Formats: sequence, structure tokens, C-alpha cells
Amino acid sequence: MNIDNFFLAPIFLPLLAASIVLMSKSFFPVKLRRFCEYIGILIGLLLPILIVFLLYPYVINNGSLSIVIGSYTPKIGIIYKFDSLSLVMILLTNLLSIPAWIYSRKVGPAHSYFTALVLIQSATIAAISMTSDIFNLFVCLEVMGLVAYVLIASKQERSAVFAAFNYMMYSSSSMVFFLLGSFGLYRLTGSLAYQEITKTLMTLSAKEQNLALVCLLLLIVPILLRVAIMPLSGWLINAHSKAPHAVSALLSGILIKIPLFVLVRVFSLSPVLQNLTLLLSYIGAATALIGVLFALAQSDAKKLLAYHSISQIGYIVTAWALALHHGIDTTIGALLLIAALFHSFSHAIFKGLLFLSIGTATDAAGSRDVYKIRGVNYMLRQKGEKFPLTMICFLIGALSIMAIPPFNGFFSKTLLTYYVKTSIHYTILSIAGIGTIASFIKLSRIFLPSKEIKKPIKELPTSKFPFSIHLSLIILALLSLLTGIFAQELFGLLENMFISTNQRPIKATIFFSKSNLLKTLYTVLGGILLFIIATNKPGSKILHKLKSLKTDFTDQYLAFAITIAFLSSFLLI
Amino acid sequence: MLIERVLIFLIFITGFIGLISMKNIIKKIIGLNLLNSAVVLLFILEASRIGDKAPILNDKIQNIVDPIPQALMLTAIVIGVCVTALSLAMSVRLYKTTGSLDITIIKERLENEY
Repeated sequence: MNIDNFFLAPIFLPLLAASIVLMSKSFFPVKLRRFCEYIGILIGLLLPILIVFLLYPYVINNGSLSIVIGSYTPKIGIIYKFDSLSLVMILLTNLLSIPAWIYSRKVGPAHSYFTALVLIQSATIAAISMTSDIFNLFVCLEVMGLVAYVLIASKQERSAVFAAFNYMMYSSSSMVFFLLGSFGLYRLTGSLAYQEITKTLMTLSAKEQNLALVCLLLLIVPILLRVAIMPLSGWLINAHSKAPHAVSALLSGILIKIPLFVLVRVFSLSPVLQNLTLLLSYIGAATALIGVLFALAQSDAKKLLAYHSISQIGYIVTAWALALHHGIDTTIGALLLIAALFHSFSHAIFKGLLFLSIGTATDAAGSRDVYKIRGVNYMLRQKGEKFPLTMICFLIGALSIMAIPPFNGFFSKTLLTYYVKTSIHYTILSIAGIGTIASFIKLSRIFLPSKEIKKPIKELPTSKFPFSIHLSLIILALLSLLTGIFAQELFGLLENMFISTNQRPIKATIFFSKSNLLKTLYTVLGGILLFIIATNKPGSKILHKLKSLKTDFTDQYLAFAITIAFLSSFLLI
Repeated sequence: MLIERVLIFLIFITGFIGLISMKNIIKKIIGLNLLNSAVVLLFILEASRIGDKAPILNDKIQNIVDPIPQALMLTAIVIGVCVTALSLAMSVRLYKTTGSLDITIIKERLENEY
């Protein structure tokens, strides 16, 4: 193996680490097993981050590194290609997996299997990010899905198992359509590699072109289902809110974004697909708005966060689709793609932070009803927390998602909206921002001191507060702050990767311009106003109606069918 | 060729109806399996359009089938087995904890649970 093939390490190292962990689980005593798990995380999650950084200059100079597995000819063999997009995806996955894993040590599923699953997930995501072959993509997506189902069900609670079952049925059956689509493309072009398909699709007749488009849609819609844009997001709420907290952070932070960036490659297969992107950007903006409305209506703290995941993925989809609309080779397209990537980075960090801190808080309170819990700090102190770090970390996460400077959410949202300023997306996303603030004011109330409990703590806390919880929260909070402060430098790094020319269009002034800061102020005021309206009688009546809307098992398939029918009729007519 | 395709389509539709309209979760899993098998059969059928001999090249056999779809389907079957095993394991757990295999009853019993 020569130095050029180093880029396969993010796939093989986690797999190696997972096998070490599973081996130690079967043969070694408990103490050694724990040690092996730490070694596994070190090899499988930390080492790939270093390797990815080492590969950064290669990517800038050469554009991409590629290999055909098993040295077959490119027409038959599976091609793996490491480019800037895969670099970002691997970095995102491993960076978030580590704090989530640390959190799980004391609270969540602290099992060797859990460690192994996180490692396997990291490996499959690395593979997804590099593969240039449809069938390989299918296999990797299915493995990623399988890991996700097991992770959700690892809580052993019956509602979690049911949520995982629901998700599995829905996404596995949609992957059958993915298989059908890849069958059609193989039939039409005689190949499964992206490059070959693109080449052959150009030469087909008009009738075959239409057939190829339907096949491509069959590939795209199941992937969009994993991304959970609006009509296809029925599975997400239960899956994300019923899962263990660490898994929720992983699911919201990573698993809904990776498929989206894979779609960049699928969209490059045929130029006709570009007609779809403008529509998708509107769907994304609508998702951002509707998601936030539903979030405002929830009483379950984790469900509220899950709806926010949908809303935030709407933001990302908007920027992503507009990037494809302009073409990712153009400067504006590349900038929009960078904005989408940056927002998914900061969303992963602050949503991880929120899920973990809210998870800790609701566990301490013994309930998840936002209307009932008050005085979480008191309860946490009873559990042995000396310093209200959970609350501070929650507030950092909340300020970040509300897009308040200097946290990363402000920078990524500003960048994202900066390039869509003239279109209607901007208005929709701004309204969604107001809703975000209102719903997080609602969620923050659980930290307000309770009226009932006023006596000071007399008895000493029975147990020590686990350090691992604080450590994971601190890591994420620091990441959130640092990516905010060094946003400018991070953009520089991303620009180097995605824009080949030396021009630097992003200036520091776009963030702290007067209009932006004023807009932030207005949004906050609007959020407070909306919160007051929502807690009053007429507002809460409407929200209660929204909350009582239930999705059924078959509704999800209906949404799936409608999406395919709608998109294909849009493309063909 | 046409009749095989119609039959495969029928299997597909049967699986889909089973997946959607059946209340029993075991039947849903069987429906998913049927869906998967239909696509596998479609691939295999398509591969045999150009020949029907096993693709062993050193015997100088003519009329071999297209080997790539067969290789692909081997993988797809393995994934299908994984999904089936996992879903059956989950349905066992659901049955043990809720006492029912009917999806509407399970949903009702989980309704007020956080």
C-alpha cells in the first residue's frame, strides 16, 4: 500500500478498532475490556481526524485522490474517490462521535457493543463519502441504516424499539426502490460507476433519457428520506426523541446530513436534474418553517429538539439546493455549498450539545414535559452537580441555535442567508429564525427556579456527578465557541478546498455589519413576541391542534409515493 | 420474457400491499422480504437475457449470463437477511413488552409513554 492510498484509512481504522473492541468483549476481563475500548476510540475516531488533516494539502493541490478497489478496470471495479466533500464529512462524523461516546460512558448504553457500533458507523460514513459507485452506495447506506436502527433500539425501552422498528420498515422498503433505480441505470448504461453512467447517459435517446430520469429519482428520493425533508420526515420524530441521548446527538448531528452531501454526487450524474434543485430549495425553506412551527407546539423536550433538527436541515437543504442550482463549480454555488457545510457543522455541534444537556436535565427531573419541569438546577445539585455547568452548556447551545454572536450558529446562519438575500427564501428563513427563538425561550424555562422548592439542600448529595457528562458537554461547548470565534479562518480553509481561484469573497464585515446585528436584534424581539403570543390562549389553541396531528405508518408511504410522483411529473412534463 | 416480468411485478405488489396494509408486524416483515425478493429476481432475470450458462470463463462456454447482477444480488440478499433478522429480533422484544403483534394495538399501548 503506497502513500497515495492512505485516504482509505478512515474506513479501515474504525473497522479495525471495532474488531479489537468486539474481540476484547469476548475474551478479556472487564478492566482490560474498558482499556481496549479507549484504545479503539483512539485508533478508530481520533487517528482518522489526524490523517484527514494530513490529507488536506493533497486535496488542495490535486483536487481528489482515487483508487479502484482490487485493481480492476474502472468499468467493473469499485472506485473510491477522496475529495474535499469526503474530507468534511469524515471530520464532521469523527468530531461529533467522540463527545457523544464520552457522554454515553456513564449515562447511555455504556456497552462494548455501543462502542463497536459507533466505530462501524464512522467507517460506513467514510465509505459513503468516498464511494463512486451506485451499488456500493446502496450497501453503505443500508449498513449505516442498520447501525442506526440498532443504536436507537439500544435503549431497551419498548417505545424506542418501536421507533426503531418503524424507521427500519420505512427506510428499508424505500431502499428497495433505490435498488430498482440502480437496476434501471445498470440496464440503460451497463455500468454502476458515476463517471461511466454520466458518460453513457449523454448518448441515450430521448425516450431512454426519460426512463433514466425516473431511475435517478428512485435513487434520490430514498436518500432524501434519510435526510428527512418535510413530507418524508415522519419517522424522524420518534426515532430521534426516543433514542438514548448520546444516540440522539449522533442521529441529529451526523446521520441526517451525510446522505444530503452524497446527493451532490448523484445530482452530478445528469444535467437535467438541475431543474429539480430550485424546487428542492423551496421545499427546504418550507421544511425550515413548518418544522419550527411543530417544534413550538411540542411539550416533550426531546421531541421539540427533534423538530428543530428537521427545521435546521431545512436551512441546510435550502443552501445546498441553491448551490446545485447555480452549479457547484461556479463561485456563488461553491460559496452556498460551503455555507451549507458550515451550517451542518455548527448544527451538529450545537444540536449535540442541546441533546446531551437536555438529556441530562430531563433525566434529573424524571420527566420530559416542558410545561411541568421547573428548577432543574436544584435537581441536578441533588444529583451531585456542584457547578451549574449543564445549564451553562445548554444556554451556549441555545444561543448558538438562536444565531446570537459570538457562537457558531450566528456565523453559519448569517453566511447561509447572505447569499440568498434577494430571494423569497430569505424571508421564509428569517421567519423560521423567529420561531426558533420563541421555542427555545419555551425550552429554557425548565431551568427557571421552581416555586415549590425553596429550602436549601441539607442532606449531602448521595452520588458524585459523573465527570464524563461534564467533559462531553465542555468539549462541545468549546467547539461551539471556537468555531464561532475562528469562523473566518474556517471559511478560509473551506474556500481553499472548494474554490480553485485565489479570490476571497468572504469578508469579516459581512458578519458584523450593522444590518446583520440589527436583524439579529429584530429576530430576538420577534421571537420574544411570538413566545408571548404562543403562550396566550389563541396561540396555544392553534399549537395544541398542531400537536395533536398524528402520523400513521401508512401515511409515510403515502408521502413517499407522492414525493416520487410529484418530482417525476415535475421533471418530465 | 413478458410473463416472467408480470409475475415478478405481482410478487412486488403483493409484498408492497403486505407491508402497507397488514396490521401484524410479522406479516409486514414478510412483505418487506417479498419486495426484496422481487427486485433480486428482476436482476437475475435481466442478467440471463444474454445467455443462460454459468459464467465460468476458463471452460470456453458460450452464452454465459451477465455475472455482475448476480454478484450484486448476493450482497443484496445478505443485506436483506440482516434487515429481516434485526426486524424479527425487534418484533420479539415488542411482543414481550407490549403483549401484542398488532401494530395499532402496540401504538395504542405506547401512546402515553415518553
